[in-house]
Amino acid sequence: MEFVSPEGLRLDGRRPMEMRQIRAEIGAVAKADGSAVFEMGNTKVIAAVYGPREVQNRTQQINDQALVRCEYSMANFSTGDRMRKPKGDRRSTEISLVIRQTMEACILTHLMPRSQIDIFVQVLQADGGTRSACINAATLALADAGIPMRDLVTSCSSGYLNSTPLLDLNYVEDSAGGPDVTVGFLPKVDKVTLLQMDSKLPIDIFENVMQLAIEGCKAIANYIREIMLENTKQLEYRRGI
Amino acid sequence: MVGLSLGEEHFIQGGIAQDLRSDGRKRLTYRPIYVETGVIPQANGSARVMLGKTDVVSSVKAELGKPSSLQPDKGKVAIHVDCSTTAAPMFEGRGGEELSTELSVALQHCLLGAKSGAGAGIDLSSLIVVEGKICWDLYIDCLVVCLDGNLLDALGAAIKAALSNTGIPRVHVAAGALGDEQPEVDISEEEFLQFDTSDIPVIVTLTKVGRHYIVDATSEEESQMSSAVSISVNRKGHICGLIKRGGAGLDPGIILDMMSVVKHVSEQLINKLDSEIAASEAGAEES
Amino acid sequence: MLHSKTFVKKTRGGKVNKQVREHYLRDDIYCGAPICKLCDSSAARLSPSASTILLLDTNVVLNQIDLLENPAIDDVVMLSVVLDEVKNKNMGVYNRVRALCSNSLRRFFVFANEHHKDTFVKEMAKESKNDRNDRAIRVAAQWYQSHLGGAARILLITNDKENKRKAIAEGISAETIESYVKSLDRPDLLDLVVQPSSEDVEMEEVEDLRPSKRKVIYTEHKPMSEITSGLHRGIYHQGKLRVNRYNPFEAYVGSESIGDEIIIYGRTNMNRAFDGDIVAVELLPQDQWHEEKSLSIADEEDEEEDVHLVPSSADDAPRTTNLVQGCSGDTNAVSSRPSGCVVGIIKRNWHSYCGSLEPMPLPAGSGGTAHALFVSKDRRIPKIRIHTRQLENLLDKRIIVAVDSWDRLSRYPSGHYVRTIGEIGDRDTESEVVLIENDINSRPFSSQVLACLPPLPWSVSSEDLANPVRQDLRDLRVFSVDPPGCKDIDDALHCTALPSGNFEVGVHIADVTNFVHPGSPLDDEASQRGTSVYLVERRIDMLPKPLTEDICSLRSDVERLAFSVIWEMTPEADIISTRYTKSVIKSCAALSYIEAQARMDDSRLMDPLTTDLRNMNVLAKKMRSRRIERGALTLASAEVKFQIDTETHDPLDIGMYQIREANQMVEEFMLAANVSVADKILKHFSLCSLLRRHPSPTREMLEPLLRTAAAVGLNLDVSSSKALAESLDRAVGDDPYFNKLIRILATRCMTQAVYFCSGDLSPPEYHHYGLAAPLYTHFTSPIRRYADVIVHRLLSASLGIYKLPSIFQDRSQLTSIADNLNYRHRNAQMASRASVELHTLIYFRKRPTDTEARVVKIRSNGFIVFVPKYVF
Repeated sequence: MEFVSPEGLRLDGRRPMEMRQIRAEIGAVAKADGSAVFEMGNTKVIAAVYGPREVQNRTQQINDQALVRCEYSMANFSTGDRMRKPKGDRRSTEISLVIRQTMEACILTHLMPRSQIDIFVQVLQADGGTRSACINAATLALADAGIPMRDLVTSCSSGYLNSTPLLDLNYVEDSAGGPDVTVGFLPKVDKVTLLQMDSKLPIDIFENVMQLAIEGCKAIANYIREIMLENTKQLEYRRGI
Repeated sequence: MVGLSLGEEHFIQGGIAQDLRSDGRKRLTYRPIYVETGVIPQANGSARVMLGKTDVVSSVKAELGKPSSLQPDKGKVAIHVDCSTTAAPMFEGRGGEELSTELSVALQHCLLGAKSGAGAGIDLSSLIVVEGKICWDLYIDCLVVCLDGNLLDALGAAIKAALSNTGIPRVHVAAGALGDEQPEVDISEEEFLQFDTSDIPVIVTLTKVGRHYIVDATSEEESQMSSAVSISVNRKGHICGLIKRGGAGLDPGIILDMMSVVKHVSEQLINKLDSEIAASEAGAEES
Repeated sequence: MLHSKTFVKKTRGGKVNKQVREHYLRDDIYCGAPICKLCDSSAARLSPSASTILLLDTNVVLNQIDLLENPAIDDVVMLSVVLDEVKNKNMGVYNRVRALCSNSLRRFFVFANEHHKDTFVKEMAKESKNDRNDRAIRVAAQWYQSHLGGAARILLITNDKENKRKAIAEGISAETIESYVKSLDRPDLLDLVVQPSSEDVEMEEVEDLRPSKRKVIYTEHKPMSEITSGLHRGIYHQGKLRVNRYNPFEAYVGSESIGDEIIIYGRTNMNRAFDGDIVAVELLPQDQWHEEKSLSIADEEDEEEDVHLVPSSADDAPRTTNLVQGCSGDTNAVSSRPSGCVVGIIKRNWHSYCGSLEPMPLPAGSGGTAHALFVSKDRRIPKIRIHTRQLENLLDKRIIVAVDSWDRLSRYPSGHYVRTIGEIGDRDTESEVVLIENDINSRPFSSQVLACLPPLPWSVSSEDLANPVRQDLRDLRVFSVDPPGCKDIDDALHCTALPSGNFEVGVHIADVTNFVHPGSPLDDEASQRGTSVYLVERRIDMLPKPLTEDICSLRSDVERLAFSVIWEMTPEADIISTRYTKSVIKSCAALSYIEAQARMDDSRLMDPLTTDLRNMNVLAKKMRSRRIERGALTLASAEVKFQIDTETHDPLDIGMYQIREANQMVEEFMLAANVSVADKILKHFSLCSLLRRHPSPTREMLEPLLRTAAAVGLNLDVSSSKALAESLDRAVGDDPYFNKLIRILATRCMTQAVYFCSGDLSPPEYHHYGLAAPLYTHFTSPIRRYADVIVHRLLSASLGIYKLPSIFQDRSQLTSIADNLNYRHRNAQMASRASVELHTLIYFRKRPTDTEARVVKIRSNGFIVFVPKYVF
């Protein structure tokens, strides 16, 4: 199956180094302390942050830092086939863990001891790259909630099909069985916080693919900054400044 | 759910008694409704309804299945509500299940009628493909994204909007199927069946706080309620379903009184909804 | 800019899924014409001086692919919408179009119109997919017209009347393919143009002299949906159609739903299916089942070629199955086989066929179109009707014809002429026919392949010598023994007597992988060819001549690179140790079998080389007797040797290939080397080694042999290869040729040895029946076999001196490589035999001879004889 045509176009018309269209919106869930909607192509994710607030379960309370909890769930209708069990299955648990660890690394948890920060991510539509979209949405939501962070965490996935490194795989390309590298990146300090890969890849090609994903993360980081700047301007405007 | 101080509680109750609620509405006024259709392109039909801060998304997916042997000439509809954790932290894990189940059952009562299928708000016989063998199964999934009271109304509105947005592909049945075997079906890519949603009822919830009842309560007001009655009414003014929640007892006369209020309010609501749905569909057509 | 593409797809589970895909529109897609000033012309493919640029419709591409491959058609823009449609309908044509587009000599440009923001066409309501695609083609044509200004004329070629009408209405010039070709004024091209099938209806039946009363000859094929439902319900059966080579009106469909094969008798029942098509068959009512004709039994058994395939291989030759005991209680020895008729064709297997035209009177007046019947060389293919303008030219030529269609009203399928090969009976033409039929690529190597060769003159360089991986064995007394006149020497031997009384014996194989690197054009070409093909008068090489005859060939008195297997053996030929190494050798003598034999036999010669030869011979004899102990089979094959006149290349004499002791000696060590290497690579790469196996023949396959032997009162024990070998040894009669005949018959019953990937089968299945070896591979002839190249790479990797290319990690790819090698090997064998047959015919054409013969088989319509002198 040909994923990259000889003219250099992928199945949906992108070039191999191009990402899908990104859209982000801050403040979708009014009741949450911070929330954001993040879309990467057809993948649409809502993240809501509740916190910092009092720890609900006293036994889990940490005395010198905040407790970060995360839950990832997919809506019934998010995938092509209707899913029966939106929460609690192994994949959701694993992704929840991954997001939690990634965000925990960049939140300044020592500033908020004995408190709890909840990050809830809900996938409305899944079309490949859900993990990355969730992390990006969570970053925006945390920023909206005013939680102090070291840096923005952005994430992007890339793969290797038809001997070409491809950026930002969609569902069709992802299910082709080729390797899939997800990278979580801190753009300002230039460090990688999350690195996951499926399938096999020779080492020299792996470096290229990872580098491509990092470039994608940097591009997303720029976009997120713009969105947040825009949002801040709106807030200032509403306050009459 | 919501932590209110004593002063706030009195404020709310007083306001309702004086026909002036916290956000300036009268007792029988709805919050502004905003409807957006087609938000989930992967589903056959979808809609998002925002009733003030309450935000629900509903989607309709159609699959081919076998009709039940008791009603071979009708399709099947299943309604399921899921409370997303983004709505409230307490919905984490299994926390939201109770509320989800309650809402699902309530919606099923209101929209689908009795188990025998009689009196359903949705016309199930339009879902049949080959009598006794193939029918469409509609799966209506709703997701509560943000919670600020009056979920049932919002869900009812969302389902109505989603159904009006639903397009089911037309199906050709291959001839020559014998006996009880599954005939082959061919999906036509171009033609779609649109649902006739004019008969679908809307749900109006009346919440009794103190001695008065209000329409469209926010979650703060709901925390003060003594009881609530949700009635689903269709365009003709017929009542399709009725549910009473809450612990306090109600005088039967008051219930009858509520129903007439509901009839009056529901007309406005139905009109408002229809215009909103039409506007959003038209908007979708243009873009 | 983003646009969403939505469509509904039905999954196999019966569910209906709505699929949504993104569809991005771009503005950086270029038009490909260098004359265009707006676009970046670095990727331009069309010619700068093109006066007319062609845009083709899908049906034109699908039907007229042969015409498009002709260099007269150039400056074509292929739209991506057309390419996608072609890909969905016919993968073969799609591959050919892609080859055309990537060929730098042809000016075909692919324009991605679906993703260009100006030429993207959105589906309108109530528009069918075909209409939408046609509209997209027209919009693209219009865009090209406005984009290029008036610099070139855009011509839309379509045979669809609707499309043409609309195009002209929109201001685009449009023509049918016929009118375009006519305008080019090249009558030879017109032959290549395929007529649409509607015209078939008006054609006269060439054979039927009655005026064309259009009668329906064949039943209509059932639509696909009915076939699928019928298959589900078990009223239809699916299988591959195999036409009987000796009786083209009889065919078999191997079906899994019935354990047996379904016979299809007669053209009507075959209902326009070709050999190799996947068809759906309906069984006829039981009373119409034909009884097994004795003719057909004999036909099945008498496979002239010993091409019995491994039972598990994809295309099985028809074999009698023992499941036909359906008529139980029937004392009648002849039982009936299920018969059926074809109701639909699931997958066509049409390609081009070689053959010639049926002789027919020339039509009055030349220059007109004549309808001719093409008879294919392969008897399984029905006659094909073509029409041509050059009938007189073609009547005595061998030509290639491709099939287009076969409608119900026509007795024969319709096709079109592709090209001429040459005159009938001419030796070169017939040889080429043999090559084409066996899918052998005999074209000269392309310049890209030749660029991979090191520059000549080549010799072992100091870097090669300094390489620590290579051992310097130039001081060893290495020699090679090969057929006379052999120039591609790929193996050499040495045998040194050690002070301990043991021998150090070495087999040195040309180090081909040093020059053929994975992924290079040279490697790809060799991998495709798979093996060298040995015809009587020439050899079609797998690798270019400079490699085979000079750089890799272990000629005498020159230093060459080699890959060596060195054993230490006792005088009883027991192997004590084995080592493998890359090496540099210098062969001191390149002997022929006759020379080597003469040296060994001449007791006066005592020089070191002859001593080595004799030592090797002794060891070889011991190894051979041990092998026979274990049950190795020695079968006789009817190998014929031709003496060719050097000038005319006509056969001068035919004789039998003589096997001498020297042959057996070399063979023995080659076998030992192959076995040792197989062992080593399997130890290191148990899942991705390329090995060779020979499945044991089943009882059914040996039936013919047992029956024939029983007819002369001989009882053969076939319980194991050893038992069979011993029985064959004991089978001696009065006639001196009797034993040889029995052995030849036994050879014909064997299965074929095949290559396989070790990860696909379990170890017991690795067994090689003929050699009685648990493991075997091919290592000793990398110059003429690609399998050996692969094994060389595996061996280098197991020694740790080479990194295995990533293709070895992909088991499915390895399996497909093994399948290709098996296919090529089979074809090479069939081509060799066909070439021998051809030359035999040519030889006897001029010299009718009377000679002695033996009757081997009696059929109902004749008998088969064996001519010992000429051994066939």
